[in-house]
Amino acid sequence: MSILANKDTRVVIQGGQAGVNAARRMAEFCYLIKRPLNVEAFVYPPDAGKTNEIPYGSGLIAIPVYKTVAEATKNHPTINTSLVYIGADRAMKGGMEALDDPHIKVVSMITEGVPEKDAKRLGAHARKLGKVFNGPSSIGIISAGACRLGVIGGAFDNLVLSKLYREGSFGVITKSGGLSNEIIWICSQFADGITTAIGIGGDAYPGTDYVSYLEMFEHDPQTKAVVIVGEMGGDLEERAAEWYGAKKRRIKLIGVVSGFCQESLPKGMKFGHAGAKEGMKGEGSARSKSDALKKAGAIVPPTFGALGPAIKDTYQELLKSGQVKEPVEPAVLPKLPKSVEEAMKADEVMVAPLIRTTISDDRGDEPCYDGYPASELINKGYEIPHVIGLLWDKRLISKQEAEIIKRIMMLSADHGPCVSGAYATILAACAGIGLSQSVAAGLIMIGPRFGGAVTDAGRFFKYAVDQKMSVDEFLAYMKKNHGPVPGIGHRVKSLRNPDKRVKELVGYVKSLNIKTPCLDFALEVEKVTAAKKDNLILNVDGTMAAVLVDIGFPVDSLNGFFILSRTIGLIGHWVDQKRQDSRLIRLFDYLVNYAAPKRREVPPLK
Amino acid sequence: MAKVLEGPGMGLMKKWGIHVPNYVVVTSADELAKLGQANDWMKTSKLVAKAHEALGSRFKLGLVKVGLDLNGAVAAAKEMIGRQVGSITVTQVIVSEMVPHKEEYYCAVKSTREGSEILVANCGGIEVESNWDRVKRLCLEVGQTPSPEALEKLAKDAGFTGALTKKMGDFAGRMFTCFDNEDAQYLEVNPVVTRESDGELVALDAVTLLDGDAKFRHPDWNFTFAAEFGRAYSKDELEVMAVDSKIKGSVKFIEIPGGDTAMLPAGGGASVYYSDAVVARGGKLANYAEYSGDPPDWAVEVLTEKVCSLPGIKNIIVGGAIANFTDVKKTFGGIINGFRKAKSDGKLKGVKIWVRRGGPREKEGLDAMRALKDEGFDINVFDRNTPLTDIVDKALHK
Repeated sequence: MSILANKDTRVVIQGGQAGVNAARRMAEFCYLIKRPLNVEAFVYPPDAGKTNEIPYGSGLIAIPVYKTVAEATKNHPTINTSLVYIGADRAMKGGMEALDDPHIKVVSMITEGVPEKDAKRLGAHARKLGKVFNGPSSIGIISAGACRLGVIGGAFDNLVLSKLYREGSFGVITKSGGLSNEIIWICSQFADGITTAIGIGGDAYPGTDYVSYLEMFEHDPQTKAVVIVGEMGGDLEERAAEWYGAKKRRIKLIGVVSGFCQESLPKGMKFGHAGAKEGMKGEGSARSKSDALKKAGAIVPPTFGALGPAIKDTYQELLKSGQVKEPVEPAVLPKLPKSVEEAMKADEVMVAPLIRTTISDDRGDEPCYDGYPASELINKGYEIPHVIGLLWDKRLISKQEAEIIKRIMMLSADHGPCVSGAYATILAACAGIGLSQSVAAGLIMIGPRFGGAVTDAGRFFKYAVDQKMSVDEFLAYMKKNHGPVPGIGHRVKSLRNPDKRVKELVGYVKSLNIKTPCLDFALEVEKVTAAKKDNLILNVDGTMAAVLVDIGFPVDSLNGFFILSRTIGLIGHWVDQKRQDSRLIRLFDYLVNYAAPKRREVPPLK
Repeated sequence: MAKVLEGPGMGLMKKWGIHVPNYVVVTSADELAKLGQANDWMKTSKLVAKAHEALGSRFKLGLVKVGLDLNGAVAAAKEMIGRQVGSITVTQVIVSEMVPHKEEYYCAVKSTREGSEILVANCGGIEVESNWDRVKRLCLEVGQTPSPEALEKLAKDAGFTGALTKKMGDFAGRMFTCFDNEDAQYLEVNPVVTRESDGELVALDAVTLLDGDAKFRHPDWNFTFAAEFGRAYSKDELEVMAVDSKIKGSVKFIEIPGGDTAMLPAGGGASVYYSDAVVARGGKLANYAEYSGDPPDWAVEVLTEKVCSLPGIKNIIVGGAIANFTDVKKTFGGIINGFRKAKSDGKLKGVKIWVRRGGPREKEGLDAMRALKDEGFDINVFDRNTPLTDIVDKALHK
């Protein structure tokens, strides 16, 4: 047996994330005692109509979220208990809503910082209705082997260590959440464990106090003794003492009170929970409470440390008198399934990875590129081209190579608004499309006819050089197998109107006195092709391709240099249009050659 | 409970129709002189000047001056403002008119478990304290409003007669309205006096304690709450409070000068048991501290730095019960960072650290604490198998 929370307790949780976290803890307990999850529903208007996923064992249970308590209890008529996790400013409304629901008999409020007047109103309303209002600031209620309400009891390992999977003989009532767990643990180590433990909250006027719960414990035959953990301030402990001393009680009462330090503190200095405030004229002091409990016949250990031995003595007496028997521990207890991560850490499972990466790792406190921490690269003077080298070719390139890449990027960052990529981005920007989509629209244009010839140019020049072909052999090979040579030819530039970018890049690379077999070959090719037709010059794609192959970049990465550089320009165009608040563009009719058939009559449908 | 100084306290009473003497709160003698030109009552009435700070025994400290004219009040303000009393500097002075009167009465409203209680006595001042049996009470359940008849009966029971009975009942009713509407936890007027000029009951001196948790529904509470223990908060205390107001969970810190045992325990309940254990062992607390509700690690780190900065400490008690949901590894991570920082700043020399804790990820947290030994910390770490306050016994064992 137990009080307040038992195997028939069905719960609605009012609140958001904190409530979901509590439900997870409750599910762990249900799993431990091999019972279905006792949370039936959530009430949280912002998420109404959705479900919250609560892990149970190795599975997930979907618990519906409702807008009101009434909706929840209408759909789940077995609900008889509500846990309130709503913010302090709305807690009273939520608590009243639960109390007023005919299905609900117990409301436990976890919310902290609830105004005193609100807490009193909730308590008074519950008493009027003959219901229980527990809290505010309650850590929860737990009945061993039967029911957990809230996070009381802590982590799964602690539930097991504190033997909460089966009933003991001790009831526990505390104001403090942390100490509730401590006492549950002590009862499991020095005695046979608990029946029910209740956190009543540390506020000055808890909705339900020691006396009401002592009365319930008195009527629970399984509970043989009750431990109360009090603190200075208010008169709750005095009232408990008064109740205990009023007549012969079946249960034994063990009590400790904190706040003796107050006697030696500077006057007026107070601390602890909100309720831990000494009244005028010494009333509510730790000493007066402790004396009252002693006088009423309760066992009052002198310090918190002496509580364990006192509980042990009580338990031994109960054993001797035959009132309790040594508990039988279950042979096997369910183990909480480990997450894959935990199991891997413990070397218990092997997982076949889904993807494999060889370039970067962000699991530490900063990203590493091919093993080098980003901050170290920065601090040692490396620059963007080196990062490109690491991520695209897994090597730290030289200063000279980095300079070449930098120049290639600067030369191809943009080429005005008229080229396909920029035009597409501008068109999208003017249609009100966002940055990433507009830039993507521009990037989509990069292909065989616009900017996308770098990789192919590099591939064929490299092939020719590797095969030691002559220019004539190469041109014949291309004509026969592939068609026009990628990287050769320009729409507007020609021998007489040369592309300054090509001149600039070739000039720089040539000045470095490095071996450039591909570039040399490409320039030889140009001599032949340009002689045939004025505009069949080595274009910027071809030049880039040859140079990048010469400094060792893999052929497959070459288009990347154009894409990356041009993205700078595309972003610029989008921002530029945005800044001008440009209007939607529509083609003018005079820019279209309407070559479709003239208007004609539609024949009857056959 | 949140204490409110007289100025804003009287403001709240006035708002609910309780007569209070004319008063002004000033931050300089010049300001007072200027106000004196604009307000007739300051030129015609006798005045009282008081330091408007959370200070006990102001009379003894010479921070209350009575029977002044305007010039006298300006001189008193000049003398008081800027005076240093312990850690408090007087920055404000409240000047109010003296109300000539013969009889003094008492009225208070206090919070009770069921609701509230209205207290009335037909004696006031220091007389009521020695005649506490003359105080009559009217108990009210939460949500209940006292009827004019009940209030009049209360006044009658307290010994008021004639026209005064109704007046006192009415006064007590207004006190209750103020208490109820302002989320007060304690309102006391002592003395209540009859103003000779118009025969009205006037509140001469007020104690106002409000429910700080209800601040969200009182946008007009534009005043700050006063420290409750007769001194101003220190810089470190204010810093921890500022952190506390920003985070989920809580961190608390109060300095106790002259102590040698520093406290860094977890939990509002356990922290007091740890303090008790220190006192029971004959130790001297250097502070009170507490962190709970799974606060972020950086907040615990700030708290740790403040604890490590306490002068003359010999032991630090990093105690705690078995947590429900506070992540031990994470919060200990904050404490460890704080310790490291303190050590690199040359603090913690010869200081012994004592740790006891349980809860989510307790093993990882305790292991991390144990590892501090290798960094040269004098640290002793215990787990849940060591009873809660035994580390205090070990620390203070001579």
